[in-house]
Amino acid sequence: MESSILDSIGVEIIGVMSPVSICMLLVVLIVYSLSSSNPFSAAAAPPIRTAANLVYLETPSDSTSQKFEGALLNALVFVILIAVVTFFLVLLYYYNCTGFLKNYMRFSAFFVLGTMGGSIFLSMIQHFSIPVDSITCFILMFNFTIVGVMSLFSSGIPIFVRQGYMVALGIFVAAWFTNLPEWTTWALLVALALYDLVAVLAPGGPLKILVELAQSRDEELPALVYEARPSVAQNGIVQGRSLDLLVGGASDSRSVEMQTMSSNNVDRNESQNLANSGYTVIQDTNFGNMEGVQRRDERDRSLSVGFLNDRCSSSSSSSEYSTVVGNHDSEIVVDEERSPLVDAQETRNGREQMRDGLENSEVSSRGIKLGLGDFVFYSVLVGRAAMYDLMTVYACYLAIISGLGCTLILLSVWRKALPALPISIALGVIFYFLTRLLMEPYIVGTATNLMMF
Amino acid sequence: MTVAAGIGYALLALGPSLSLFISVISKKPFLILTVLSSTLLWLMSLIVLAGVWRAFLPLKSNTWWPFAILILTSVSFQEGLRILFWKVYKRLEDMLDAFADRLAKPRLFLTDKMLIALAGGLGHGVAHAVFFCISLLTPAFGPATFFVDKCSQLPFFLVSAIIALAFVTIHTFSMVIAFSGYAEGNKVDQYFVPAVHLVAGMVTLVNFASGGCVVGIPLLYFMAILTSLHCGKMVMRRLSETRQ
Repeated sequence: MESSILDSIGVEIIGVMSPVSICMLLVVLIVYSLSSSNPFSAAAAPPIRTAANLVYLETPSDSTSQKFEGALLNALVFVILIAVVTFFLVLLYYYNCTGFLKNYMRFSAFFVLGTMGGSIFLSMIQHFSIPVDSITCFILMFNFTIVGVMSLFSSGIPIFVRQGYMVALGIFVAAWFTNLPEWTTWALLVALALYDLVAVLAPGGPLKILVELAQSRDEELPALVYEARPSVAQNGIVQGRSLDLLVGGASDSRSVEMQTMSSNNVDRNESQNLANSGYTVIQDTNFGNMEGVQRRDERDRSLSVGFLNDRCSSSSSSSEYSTVVGNHDSEIVVDEERSPLVDAQETRNGREQMRDGLENSEVSSRGIKLGLGDFVFYSVLVGRAAMYDLMTVYACYLAIISGLGCTLILLSVWRKALPALPISIALGVIFYFLTRLLMEPYIVGTATNLMMF
Repeated sequence: MTVAAGIGYALLALGPSLSLFISVISKKPFLILTVLSSTLLWLMSLIVLAGVWRAFLPLKSNTWWPFAILILTSVSFQEGLRILFWKVYKRLEDMLDAFADRLAKPRLFLTDKMLIALAGGLGHGVAHAVFFCISLLTPAFGPATFFVDKCSQLPFFLVSAIIALAFVTIHTFSMVIAFSGYAEGNKVDQYFVPAVHLVAGMVTLVNFASGGCVVGIPLLYFMAILTSLHCGKMVMRRLSETRQ
């Protein structure tokens, strides 16, 4: 029986959603397991002063308006800090300090994995009384960290390892963020979502500038990004392009300009550093991986002289080049326009292909990118919800995931870099408070009387 | 030990759905998306209902009729939502078919349609179990358990897990029945589903009587088994029809 269309739709959406889910799940587990006996936050019991609460230290005895104002101020300062640092990084990138930026990212990854990861591991070891001596622990930690640092910006490491480390970074930073006081966390989340919206979409926003710079130079962004490349080859199965599907037949009428744009206008990057708190949040979202498209195009050209290029706007597919729907002419135009970019990538492509093996290279060369910051702040929201109740965790999880889905749909409609935080965070916050205020008395009232429906 | 008990309760409620999810759903990303969206829909229905009922809560726990009204309204609202879900699904099916044509692939098979319905039902069922059972389980991981007065034979968590399992079964399979009923225009199936849901909800009212859960839970399981049998028969019939 021929494989049905159901097998192939939504692969790339799930490819983004599953790491986000794993990240959130682990953060919730960490929050749960460590908050019961509290070795983790006991250390932080005198409220820690960090970049996120520079202005105001929340104490439970403060009045509501005091907390509210303080939280707003904290969030404002934090966002301004992030904006300044991002502009600084954009400036560095503008003056071609890519090497510095990359090393800086490596250093911050080292720091996050080593210190924040280390402290989480240590409190885990304490909490579960794992018998391990300090030397072994140190060697393990050191190896873990070094492999993580090496996996950034290097093509010699399997993509799976890199994805794993991205998720790990997200988990550590998010678990750390959950130590912030409650009001500050909420204000911070909302402020960051708004900042994200401005920075990516507004003209002159730092991330927009950065993305456009990177596109004009045709470089990979020197930033921490989760790439949802399908790591498992599904040869022989024509993968559907669910993003196209979701916009209905509309994508058929897309013009060539749109398609070219989609490959040139898809990256978004956001890098932030909070140096004084001893950790780094690097937040980028590159939706659509233009370098991947080029790589595939290059390969296609070598295979079939550019004729079988599929519409480059579409999402990942192992055999897309055999499923071109009509418009061959435009494909060639698209391909010609990008040929210089393709050449620039050639040496790296060769390496990649050798590594991946011949069949898999097309499969593993294209995917949606999601910034690490989105991982972090989704997980912060869920982790914060986990401190209240499990019910809010489920509600927030569903809200965030559906917000992510909405963002992906919008992505397929607009075909440009989009901020992933605003919709998800808005839905998450709304659902959190709805659940907490409305649903809990309802559910608890009926369920404790053993009434269900 | 208490952690084991908590996990045990969770698995009791969600174990069958978990194995269904792993063996059938997780292989097809589209079905995962269906499960997620259907779970979200159910959550939203709960929030709307909770918002409506918020003014009247908490209900006095010595009279049973407010609970009857609550269950009646909730079930009818959710059944209305099922029709909405069907309408959305119908449009989605058209889109999928059009998409399949564009890729020169076969259109949706009958089994595919049933799988989508199953995923939708599973989403509803999982949402039920998650919100009515799992989310109350937090204390079960601690060093104690909890008994309610009216059903003192078993711990509350165990009872709610057992009830949740029955409801997961009912929700999962009634979605398959309902979708097939709508597709074929089969009136019996169309009315069977709301009836089962309502009766199952009303049966839980038996738990209100002291010691009522001894009667209520077997009745509930009767409804669950009835639903799954009916679903199985219906699926067999339709599959053999298409094969001929």
